[in-house]
Amino acid sequence: MPEPENTDLIEKLRRFVETVDVANALTEPLSQTIENLLRVSAAEINSEEASVLIREDDDGDLRFLSAIGKVAEKLLDVTVPAGKGIAGFVMSSGQPLAVSDVGEEQSFYAEVDKKTGYSTQMILATPLRYGGEVIGVLEYINRRGEPPFEPFTPDEMDRAAVFAEAIASLVNAYESAKIYRELGQKILGDGEEVDLASVRKWLDGLRTSAEHREMIDLAVLVREIASRGEAERRVCREVLESFLRFSNTKDDTSFLSY
Amino acid sequence: MTNILADGITRERREAQFRLDDAWASATGRGVSVAIIDSGVDTTHPDVADRIKESVEARLEDKKVVFDPSDSGDSAGHGTACAGIVASIAPEVEMYSIKVLGPGGLGDGHAFLAGLEYAIKKRYRVINLSLGTTKPQFFAPLHDLLDRAYQAGCVVVAAANNLPQPSFPSVFSSSLISVIKSDETDPLKFGFRYGEVIELTAPGVNVRTAWPNNSHRNLTGNSFACPHIVAVIALILEKHPDLTPFQVKSALYSIARHNRER
Repeated sequence: MPEPENTDLIEKLRRFVETVDVANALTEPLSQTIENLLRVSAAEINSEEASVLIREDDDGDLRFLSAIGKVAEKLLDVTVPAGKGIAGFVMSSGQPLAVSDVGEEQSFYAEVDKKTGYSTQMILATPLRYGGEVIGVLEYINRRGEPPFEPFTPDEMDRAAVFAEAIASLVNAYESAKIYRELGQKILGDGEEVDLASVRKWLDGLRTSAEHREMIDLAVLVREIASRGEAERRVCREVLESFLRFSNTKDDTSFLSY
Repeated sequence: MTNILADGITRERREAQFRLDDAWASATGRGVSVAIIDSGVDTTHPDVADRIKESVEARLEDKKVVFDPSDSGDSAGHGTACAGIVASIAPEVEMYSIKVLGPGGLGDGHAFLAGLEYAIKKRYRVINLSLGTTKPQFFAPLHDLLDRAYQAGCVVVAAANNLPQPSFPSVFSSSLISVIKSDETDPLKFGFRYGEVIELTAPGVNVRTAWPNNSHRNLTGNSFACPHIVAVIALILEKHPDLTPFQVKSALYSIARHNRER
């Protein structure tokens, strides 16, 4: 356990681990669940490959967050330029569509296929919406088995839309948790050397404390409220700030009791 | 010259099948202006090349959207696909591409609204909106724009959302024409679902149409049902140019009912 004199570092580490724990508590099962849903939905839609693309930066470029299928790992390194190709269109327009003959000439998918060694024949792409915003794209590529493939049907598009709703909620939660994780890293600061082994030992003790668990519960609660929308975030902030002001006016006593 | 329609049937066959005495059945959309608010159109594609009269593109300037002449084509293919469907059914329409989707900040809801406003100010007779938004903040401005379109005599046709939630403007059923896909293949055998929010059905399953780089694609989506109805309206307006948006909608209902009874 770190020496008591280094209280500043301890405080930083305490904050860091609390944030990272919250993030991990939220992210660890999320990415696996997204992948599981991709697998289940691809089977339901009789598709060979399925993937989730999300916005990478302010320019609107897309990156693969999750993928299943033969070239899943290779896809995770691919970026789709903003507005390009089917995914780019679905992202910017919010309109789902299916293409049953992608073709081989200068399309975006020809470039992706070169990188992955895959042969894209058909695509079903549907937007991932959360809170009225398009936050990503859900894609299904090709059928299982050998070509020629039957085109995707309207019923399959409808089913993809239902899966997209569930996946969008998970993607939003995942991305929110990622922000927490990154925030935790910033709290620790760049370039500071930390004895991770001793930190881990100290943190193991910390995690088991009731106070720490309550902190995590509170953070999860705040995150839940924050995800409800701008109005909820504003009210939540006002309430918490009011409470803080109220609390600051008290010295040793409190009206709160348990 | 034989015109091949979106599903591959010929214009001659269509006219033989569609034995209404109305003159519109043999129209080509000549002189009717159609706006395609979308991802741009590949104006070099032979299916649409001589039908695109103007292409403009949204650009942000001091937080306002302005429109410049565009030669950037169609990076996504969607606008070209919609234009191709319109041209296949109404081969003599005058199309105007208004690009609001694409890289460089396009795709923002404000660009979409500005594109619609631009089309209304230009008084294009039929406006193809194979797009929509579910953002509640756009509900009121879109409603206002559609009222302005109605008063200006512009017929706005919007694709329904494919997802289990309402999208704007397709749910504004009173002031525009909204369309959902059906697996019908004859472009003129569209249907009318009176009492439903999305009233019209049109071919939107595996529709073969133009795609950038001088190619074609088979596409499925409400996006592709919308231009079918746009084209039909262009045919009607060529022969009956004084019809109001309300009358156009009534005509569509009448034709759809006839389709069902045949």
